[in-house]
Amino acid sequence: MSLSTLAPPCQLAALFQELATRWRQETAFLSSTTEIATHPAYQRIIGFGPQAIPLILAELKKKPEPWFWALTAITGENPVATDDQGKVQAMAKAWLNWGHENGWLA
Amino acid sequence: MNPLEMAFPALASGNYAVTSPAVSDYNCIAWAAGESDRWWWPDPLGLNFWPPEIPRLETIDSFRLAFEALGFAKAKNDQPEPGMEKIAIFAQGGKPTHMARQLENGRWTSKMGQSEDIEHALRDLEGVLYGEVALFMGRPKSGATPLAKGP
Repeated sequence: MSLSTLAPPCQLAALFQELATRWRQETAFLSSTTEIATHPAYQRIIGFGPQAIPLILAELKKKPEPWFWALTAITGENPVATDDQGKVQAMAKAWLNWGHENGWLA
Repeated sequence: MNPLEMAFPALASGNYAVTSPAVSDYNCIAWAAGESDRWWWPDPLGLNFWPPEIPRLETIDSFRLAFEALGFAKAKNDQPEPGMEKIAIFAQGGKPTHMARQLENGRWTSKMGQSEDIEHALRDLEGVLYGEVALFMGRPKSGATPLAKGP
Protein backbone atom coordinates (compact mmCIF):
# COMPACT_ATOMS: atom_id res chain seq x y z
CA MET A 1 0.00 0.00 0.00
CA SER A 2 1.30 3.43 -0.82
CA LEU A 3 1.95 5.57 2.24
CA SER A 4 0.47 8.52 0.40
CA THR A 5 -3.05 7.04 0.13
CA LEU A 6 -5.81 7.56 2.66
CA ALA A 7 -6.76 4.37 4.47
CA PRO A 8 -10.32 3.24 5.19
CA PRO A 9 -10.86 2.23 8.84
CA CYS A 10 -10.42 -1.48 8.07
CA GLN A 11 -6.90 -0.82 6.75
CA LEU A 12 -5.90 1.76 9.32
CA ALA A 13 -4.13 -0.68 11.67
CA ALA A 14 -2.00 -2.07 8.86
CA LEU A 15 -1.08 1.39 7.63
CA PHE A 16 -0.31 2.45 11.21
CA GLN A 17 2.12 -0.47 11.59
CA GLU A 18 3.76 0.33 8.27
CA LEU A 19 4.26 3.96 9.27
CA ALA A 20 5.40 3.08 12.80
CA THR A 21 8.01 0.66 11.42
CA ARG A 22 9.35 3.31 9.06
CA TRP A 23 9.39 5.88 11.88
CA ARG A 24 11.31 3.52 14.21
CA GLN A 25 13.88 2.65 11.56
CA GLU A 26 14.52 6.22 10.51
CA THR A 27 14.64 7.82 13.98
CA ALA A 28 16.40 5.05 15.95
CA PHE A 29 19.60 7.06 16.45
CA LEU A 30 18.03 10.48 17.06
CA SER A 31 17.86 12.17 20.45
CA SER A 32 15.96 15.26 19.35
CA THR A 33 12.35 14.87 20.41
CA THR A 34 11.45 17.47 17.80
CA GLU A 35 13.12 15.56 14.97
CA ILE A 36 11.58 12.30 16.13
CA ALA A 37 8.10 13.83 16.29
CA THR A 38 8.31 15.74 13.03
CA HIS A 39 9.31 12.66 11.04
CA PRO A 40 6.85 12.41 8.10
CA ALA A 41 5.56 8.95 9.14
CA TYR A 42 4.89 10.16 12.70
CA GLN A 43 3.15 13.26 11.40
CA ARG A 44 1.01 11.05 9.19
CA ILE A 45 -0.02 9.04 12.27
CA ILE A 46 -0.93 12.27 14.08
CA GLY A 47 -3.04 13.04 11.02
CA PHE A 48 -5.16 9.95 11.71
CA GLY A 49 -6.61 11.94 14.62
CA PRO A 50 -8.50 10.14 17.43
CA GLN A 51 -8.53 6.88 15.41
CA ALA A 52 -4.82 6.58 16.20
CA ILE A 53 -5.28 6.73 19.98
CA PRO A 54 -6.06 3.02 20.61
CA LEU A 55 -3.34 1.98 18.17
CA ILE A 56 -0.75 4.16 19.91
CA LEU A 57 -1.84 3.07 23.39
CA ALA A 58 -1.54 -0.58 22.29
CA GLU A 59 2.04 0.11 21.19
CA LEU A 60 2.82 1.88 24.47
CA LYS A 61 1.49 -1.14 26.34
CA LYS A 62 3.95 -3.39 24.48
CA LYS A 63 6.97 -1.10 24.77
CA PRO A 64 7.45 2.47 26.01
CA GLU A 65 8.44 4.61 23.03
CA PRO A 66 8.19 8.36 22.34
CA TRP A 67 4.53 8.41 21.34
CA PHE A 68 3.80 11.18 23.84
CA TRP A 69 4.05 14.08 21.39
CA ALA A 70 1.48 12.38 19.13
CA LEU A 71 -0.89 11.68 22.02
CA THR A 72 -0.66 15.26 23.25
CA ALA A 73 -1.11 16.62 19.73
CA ILE A 74 -4.20 14.50 19.09
CA THR A 75 -5.89 14.83 22.50
CA GLY A 76 -4.70 18.21 23.77
CA GLU A 77 -3.96 16.45 27.06
CA ASN A 78 -0.80 15.73 29.02
CA PRO A 79 -1.48 13.47 32.01
CA VAL A 80 2.23 13.20 32.93
CA ALA A 81 3.27 14.73 36.27
CA THR A 82 5.95 17.44 36.05
CA ASP A 83 8.32 15.30 38.13
CA ASP A 84 8.01 12.56 35.51
CA GLN A 85 9.00 14.71 32.51
CA GLY A 86 11.23 12.58 30.29
CA LYS A 87 10.77 9.41 32.38
CA VAL A 88 9.56 7.21 29.58
CA GLN A 89 8.28 4.34 31.74
CA ALA A 90 6.30 6.70 33.99
CA MET A 91 5.03 8.69 30.99
CA ALA A 92 3.78 5.50 29.33
CA LYS A 93 2.07 4.47 32.57
CA ALA A 94 0.37 7.88 32.89
CA TRP A 95 -0.94 7.66 29.33
CA LEU A 96 -2.15 4.08 29.78
CA ASN A 97 -4.00 5.17 32.94
CA TRP A 98 -5.45 8.07 30.95
CA GLY A 99 -6.56 5.57 28.29
CA HIS A 100 -8.38 3.45 30.86
CA GLU A 101 -9.99 6.45 32.55
CA ASN A 102 -11.21 7.88 29.27
CA GLY A 103 -12.55 4.67 27.78
CA TRP A 104 -9.87 4.11 25.13
CA LEU A 105 -8.62 0.91 26.75
CA ALA A 106 -10.71 -1.93 28.16
CA MET B 1 26.38 -4.09 7.66
CA ASN B 2 24.25 -3.35 10.72
CA PRO B 3 21.96 -0.29 10.99
CA LEU B 4 24.42 1.56 13.26
CA GLU B 5 27.26 1.19 10.76
CA MET B 6 24.96 2.15 7.89
CA ALA B 7 24.02 5.36 9.71
CA PHE B 8 27.60 6.10 10.80
CA PRO B 9 29.91 4.73 8.08
CA ALA B 10 33.09 5.51 10.06
CA LEU B 11 32.03 2.84 12.57
CA ALA B 12 32.22 0.18 9.86
CA SER B 13 35.94 -0.21 10.63
CA GLY B 14 34.80 -1.93 13.83
CA ASN B 15 36.53 0.58 16.10
CA TYR B 16 33.62 0.72 18.53
CA ALA B 17 31.91 -1.42 21.15
CA VAL B 18 28.25 -1.73 22.10
CA THR B 19 28.09 -1.30 25.88
CA SER B 20 24.37 -1.54 26.71
CA PRO B 21 21.10 -2.94 25.42
CA ALA B 22 18.85 -0.66 23.34
CA VAL B 23 16.36 1.16 25.57
CA SER B 24 14.20 4.28 25.26
CA ASP B 25 14.60 5.28 28.91
CA TYR B 26 17.22 7.98 28.29
CA ASN B 27 18.98 9.75 25.47
CA CYS B 28 22.47 11.01 24.74
CA ILE B 29 21.95 14.31 26.56
CA ALA B 30 20.94 12.52 29.77
CA TRP B 31 23.87 10.11 29.31
CA ALA B 32 26.33 13.01 28.91
CA ALA B 33 24.88 14.45 32.13
CA GLY B 34 25.45 11.13 33.89
CA GLU B 35 21.79 10.07 34.01
CA SER B 36 20.10 6.96 32.63
CA ASP B 37 16.49 7.27 33.76
CA ARG B 38 15.02 10.14 31.76
CA TRP B 39 15.04 11.76 28.35
CA TRP B 40 16.52 15.30 28.23
CA TRP B 41 15.40 17.64 25.46
CA PRO B 42 14.08 21.24 25.37
CA ASP B 43 11.06 20.25 23.30
CA PRO B 44 8.44 22.98 22.83
CA LEU B 45 5.62 20.89 24.36
CA GLY B 46 7.54 20.46 27.62
CA LEU B 47 7.27 16.67 27.48
CA ASN B 48 10.90 15.86 28.26
CA PHE B 49 13.17 16.97 31.05
CA TRP B 50 15.12 20.19 30.72
CA PRO B 51 16.66 22.07 33.65
CA PRO B 52 13.86 24.44 34.69
CA GLU B 53 16.05 27.54 34.87
CA ILE B 54 17.42 27.09 31.33
CA PRO B 55 15.57 28.36 28.20
CA ARG B 56 13.81 25.53 26.36
CA LEU B 57 15.52 26.30 23.07
CA GLU B 58 17.21 23.94 20.63
CA THR B 59 20.38 26.01 20.46
CA ILE B 60 24.01 25.36 21.35
CA ASP B 61 23.77 28.22 23.87
CA SER B 62 20.86 26.61 25.67
CA PHE B 63 22.71 23.29 25.85
CA ARG B 64 25.86 25.08 27.06
CA LEU B 65 23.86 26.78 29.82
CA ALA B 66 22.26 23.47 30.84
CA PHE B 67 25.68 21.90 31.28
CA GLU B 68 27.18 24.98 32.93
CA ALA B 69 24.49 24.42 35.56
CA LEU B 70 26.08 21.00 36.11
CA GLY B 71 29.51 22.54 36.67
CA PHE B 72 30.91 22.30 33.13
CA ALA B 73 32.73 25.14 31.37
CA LYS B 74 33.91 25.54 27.78
CA ALA B 75 36.97 23.41 26.97
CA LYS B 76 39.50 23.96 24.19
CA ASN B 77 39.59 20.47 22.72
CA ASP B 78 38.98 16.76 23.13
CA GLN B 79 42.39 15.96 24.61
CA PRO B 80 42.03 14.00 27.85
CA GLU B 81 43.15 15.99 30.91
CA PRO B 82 43.85 14.30 34.24
CA GLY B 83 41.08 15.02 36.72
CA MET B 84 38.75 16.46 34.05
CA GLU B 85 35.50 15.04 32.69
CA LYS B 86 34.79 16.25 29.16
CA ILE B 87 31.68 16.28 27.00
CA ALA B 88 31.12 17.17 23.35
CA ILE B 89 28.06 18.75 21.75
CA PHE B 90 27.39 17.82 18.12
CA ALA B 91 25.33 20.19 15.99
CA GLN B 92 23.98 20.55 12.49
CA GLY B 93 22.96 23.95 11.12
CA GLY B 94 23.40 25.45 14.59
CA LYS B 95 21.02 22.94 16.20
CA PRO B 96 22.32 20.42 18.72
CA THR B 97 21.86 16.84 17.58
CA HIS B 98 23.91 14.70 19.94
CA MET B 99 26.23 14.66 22.95
CA ALA B 100 29.07 12.34 23.96
CA ARG B 101 31.03 11.97 27.20
CA GLN B 102 34.74 11.18 27.47
CA LEU B 103 35.84 8.05 29.30
CA GLU B 104 38.92 7.59 31.50
CA ASN B 105 40.70 5.91 28.58
CA GLY B 106 40.24 8.98 26.35
CA ARG B 107 37.60 7.35 24.16
CA TRP B 108 33.97 8.48 24.20
CA THR B 109 30.64 7.02 25.26
CA SER B 110 27.36 7.84 23.51
CA LYS B 111 23.76 6.79 23.87
CA MET B 112 22.58 6.41 20.30
CA GLY B 113 19.06 7.84 20.39
CA GLN B 114 16.71 5.00 21.34
CA SER B 115 19.39 2.44 20.56
CA GLU B 116 22.43 1.20 22.44
CA ASP B 117 25.26 2.93 24.28
CA ILE B 118 28.54 2.63 22.43
CA GLU B 119 32.21 3.35 23.17
CA HIS B 120 33.79 5.02 20.15
CA ALA B 121 36.25 7.48 18.66
CA LEU B 122 34.67 10.93 18.90
CA ARG B 123 34.83 11.93 15.22
CA ASP B 124 33.43 8.60 14.03
CA LEU B 125 29.93 9.94 14.77
CA GLU B 126 30.35 13.05 12.62
CA GLY B 127 28.41 13.05 9.37
CA VAL B 128 24.96 13.34 7.86
CA LEU B 129 22.98 12.44 10.98
CA TYR B 130 24.76 14.29 13.80
CA GLY B 131 26.71 16.96 11.92
CA GLU B 132 29.97 17.96 13.58
CA VAL B 133 31.30 18.60 17.06
CA ALA B 134 30.45 22.22 17.85
CA LEU B 135 31.54 22.60 21.47
CA PHE B 136 33.67 20.88 24.10
CA MET B 137 33.02 21.36 27.79
CA GLY B 138 34.77 20.04 30.90
CA ARG B 139 34.53 19.97 34.67
CA PRO B 140 36.69 18.66 37.48
CA LYS B 141 35.75 15.05 38.13
CA SER B 142 34.77 15.80 41.70
CA GLY B 143 32.94 18.99 40.70
CA ALA B 144 29.53 17.66 39.72
CA THR B 145 26.86 20.20 40.59
CA PRO B 146 23.47 18.75 41.54
CA LEU B 147 20.59 20.12 39.51
CA ALA B 148 18.35 22.69 41.14
CA LYS B 149 14.90 21.38 42.03
CA GLY B 150 12.10 22.29 39.63
CA PRO B 151 9.12 24.44 40.59
